[in-house]
Amino acid sequence: MDSQATPKTELLNFIPSPSRPPVVITHGFTGWLKKHLFGGFWNTLLTIAVFTLLYLLLKPFLEWSLVKAVWTASSRRECLSISPDGACWAAVIRWSNNLIYGRYPDPLQWRINLGIGIGIIWLLPLALKKIKHKIVIGLMAVVFYPFLASYLFLGGDRGRLHYVIASVALAYLFMLYMNIILIYLGKKQTGQYFESLIERFVPRRADLLGHLTFLLILSVLIAFIFRDFSLQDVSTDVWGGLFLTIIISGFSIVMALPIGILLALGRRSQMPVVRWFSIATIELVRSVPMITVLFMSVTMMPLFFPNTMDLNKLAQVIIAVCIFAGAYMAETVRGGLQAIPKGQFDAAKSIGLGYWYTMAFIILPQALRAMIPNIVTSFISLFKDTTLVSIIGLFDLMLMARNISIDKNWFGLHTEPLVAISVLFFIFCYTMSQYSQRLERHLTKGR
Amino acid sequence: MILNRESVDRSSEKKGIAKARTAIEITGLNKWFGELHVLKDVSLSVSEKEIIVICGPSGSGKSTFIRCINHLENYQEGTVSIFGEKLESNKKSAVLIRNNVGMLFQNFNLFPHLTILQNCTLGPIWLRKIPESESIKQSMALLDRVGIAALASKYPGQISGGQQQRVAIARSLAMEPRIMLFDEPTSALDPEMIKEVLDVMIDLAESGMTMMCVTHEMQFAHQVADRVIFMADGEIVEIGPPDQVLKNPKWDRTSQFLQHVLSHKS
Ligand SMILES: Nc1ncnc2c1ncn2[C@@H]1O[C@H](COP(=O)(O)OP(=O)(O)OP(=O)(O)O)[C@@H](O)[C@H]1O
Ligand SMILES: [Mg+2]
Repeated sequence: MDSQATPKTELLNFIPSPSRPPVVITHGFTGWLKKHLFGGFWNTLLTIAVFTLLYLLLKPFLEWSLVKAVWTASSRRECLSISPDGACWAAVIRWSNNLIYGRYPDPLQWRINLGIGIGIIWLLPLALKKIKHKIVIGLMAVVFYPFLASYLFLGGDRGRLHYVIASVALAYLFMLYMNIILIYLGKKQTGQYFESLIERFVPRRADLLGHLTFLLILSVLIAFIFRDFSLQDVSTDVWGGLFLTIIISGFSIVMALPIGILLALGRRSQMPVVRWFSIATIELVRSVPMITVLFMSVTMMPLFFPNTMDLNKLAQVIIAVCIFAGAYMAETVRGGLQAIPKGQFDAAKSIGLGYWYTMAFIILPQALRAMIPNIVTSFISLFKDTTLVSIIGLFDLMLMARNISIDKNWFGLHTEPLVAISVLFFIFCYTMSQYSQRLERHLTKGR
Repeated sequence: MILNRESVDRSSEKKGIAKARTAIEITGLNKWFGELHVLKDVSLSVSEKEIIVICGPSGSGKSTFIRCINHLENYQEGTVSIFGEKLESNKKSAVLIRNNVGMLFQNFNLFPHLTILQNCTLGPIWLRKIPESESIKQSMALLDRVGIAALASKYPGQISGGQQQRVAIARSLAMEPRIMLFDEPTSALDPEMIKEVLDVMIDLAESGMTMMCVTHEMQFAHQVADRVIFMADGEIVEIGPPDQVLKNPKWDRTSQFLQHVLSHKS
């Protein structure tokens, strides 16, 4: 180590050159235009050509859809008499209630609004910065929200267990918001007020038990308050429109990921039976068109269940779509798992993490993060694929839109409803894709 | 910077363990990768607080050997015992390994999606069931000891290789092991970072940790090793104090290899 003397003295004389601020490119809008659209002869020509083409293509569409469109009329004939070559949006507007709620009775539609609203409210805290353990909020939503929502949507007597779980769901939502308010006020969370009391009896995990105690108290309270509360029964036969589309796709989007993860892990499992089962499921489902799976679900599923069980078409379809989506998701997840270096497994094992801990804390977070674009892509296509359920007679958004054309007032009107639901689908899918990009940016920040 | 010498001493006293107790006992270890016989009847006994350095040519089975000790690899024949308890592939052995053996890798293998601090606290919180706040305190102390407490909230991708390896040391220490295994911990590092990692390892050695270290840092071997092992073709061909193995090797292979390593270094 005697060779160190020379470089050290040199270092003492070393004066770093002053740093400069980074080069900032500011052009403004006109600058941008000049640079990207009108830079050079060919570029300008191309820009003009493209814009001309766009104008030629869009002009008739805009004229049809906006300028000459009819917004209020009571029948197709009236539309045509007002403006023969404009869009007849009046039909879509007249049918809008059906497009959104299907044939769900008008006076009961508040239940759908409330249910969907609760779902949104439940998920809102995920966007808050100060909230920790978001995964718990998400998991609780996945597990408990369906019971609360179905209690609202279905109405009627759904049995005691369902009622209890729905109460817990509502209690959790109340607790969540109380805690959020307390956190933002800088106070202790609700459950923590029980901690010292519980610590006297059970020293371990008193924090968790504190939260559970409060949840229990709140659940009992809510179950008691709503004990005489009853809702009118609404059969799933009258569910339809956007509502049904959201139910089917929401359910399968949420279930696809866990099913996919389990199948993907099963496929890599050391246990032969688990592995064979996973491979068989994945390959079987993936080699059959979704329509076939849907038809089979309606015709074949009853064979697998006892006769006494009352299956409804919607449940069968949802199960089928979940399995179908899960099998595809499994392959996406597997791709993510394969990208994880072996060293991560070694490291996890070397600090003593077992299989499930390793998967939950080390492998899956990384694998899923890497696969977000692919996962969201499959969510988006799943959302669109649910339109296939119209083929087996579920009145989703698609079939509702098609139905307009056989309404005697609007007979033969095909284009407008399809354009309208296309716009709806676009809004949903584009939102999902934007959200996924935000999520991706957020999760890869600083890495 | 004296590492947890006291805690090690206390724990051994508490359990009434004699000073020269055996930490690792390996007998007749045989391992095949398919047809390839990678470890041939390897036996070794390591006493507590002993520092063993393993060297040898590439492909001689050093990594495989050291990975067998904490069951990262399974083997077809032979036994490995830790503090007198024979390891099997069951839950009990897994807990025994988890509580006693830590390991460092050539590529650090930090968890890239977790912060430095989270890397360290994950094991203690979920496996040793220590409350989060306490675990953070303990991990911060460890990070301070390896000299990177200031980087606790950064992600592994944001720090240098030497710093990553020191985090990996802290992460292992957070599980309070009594044996540490090292598989070429410095060979993926730039020269100027090797020293900062070796310094921490020397400290560990002085604190009374039992260590088995695959490395080609001969300086380090001279300074801290109690015994040096030379492996070739899946066998221990030479074993003894560093002066003997490194200065006057009995075997030609050893001296050839040492010459090669030393000439490569300078
Ligand atoms: N997972 C594996 N599957 C098959 N063969 C393997 C595997 N891991 C190692 N080997 C083989 O076993 C032998 C010993 O490998 P090992 O990695 O233990 O050597 P090493 O002494 O650590 O070498 P290096 O100095 O290059 O790290 C080599 O011939 C290697 O090709
Ligand atoms: Mg190796």
